[in-house]
Amino acid sequence: MFEVMVMMHAVLGLLVLLAGIWVFVEALNVSQSNVARIRLASLIVAVAMWVTFAVAGYWYVAYYAADKALILKGPWPFAHNFFMETKEHVVLMLLLLTTFLPIAAQNDLVGNKGARSLFLCVAGLIVLIGVAVEGSGGIISMGAKLGAALR
Amino acid sequence: MEKPLGKYTVSFGLALAITAIFSALLVVIKELSENTVLALMKRATGHHWITHTIIDLIVFVALGFLLTKVQISPERLSRVIIGATVAGGLIIAGFYLLAD
Repeated sequence: MFEVMVMMHAVLGLLVLLAGIWVFVEALNVSQSNVARIRLASLIVAVAMWVTFAVAGYWYVAYYAADKALILKGPWPFAHNFFMETKEHVVLMLLLLTTFLPIAAQNDLVGNKGARSLFLCVAGLIVLIGVAVEGSGGIISMGAKLGAALR
Repeated sequence: MEKPLGKYTVSFGLALAITAIFSALLVVIKELSENTVLALMKRATGHHWITHTIIDLIVFVALGFLLTKVQISPERLSRVIIGATVAGGLIIAGFYLLAD
């Protein structure tokens, strides 16, 4: 169960990131023909993020303590002290941004340049934070592996 | 003339910005007050992070419905959201960088 949840939250996180990129690129080329797709994709980003958050949150609360102990005894304690601590709180901002995305998508993205810029800003922040969170996940995972190898 | 932003876009956009800063400050406050704030947050739900999440969501939703009368241009709202998200991220990362 532990391994399944670790993999699931990483894959779901990647899905949020990919969907964020998809939405961003679609919005760069917004027209009447793709605006409905942008709204649907925004909703997919939000739903994917909530599912990811639920899975990752459960894993973090239920299972992470063992990994944390391994990381702190290993050669990469910063994988927890900096990367995990930062990630677990920055991801809350990502949750809010993805929740806001479908709301921002309801505006006139074709005719209103300001609304389009706002949407692009939010989608861009989702992608940037998504990359940072995925990268942090890799470092945390490596910290746990190194800790386990040297046990 | 361009249509103005929807009222919920403005209110939840501002709610997002305020909650991002609030959440970052809550990180600093709880980490610096282990025996009081952090302990209280742990007691409330069994894990400080769950409590933190619930508080953030309550603030976000409450402000989203309270700020529906506020008017702001899309450009300004974009700047506020970017500024608050970057500032929130820097507060959190900076805090743990210094604490590490």
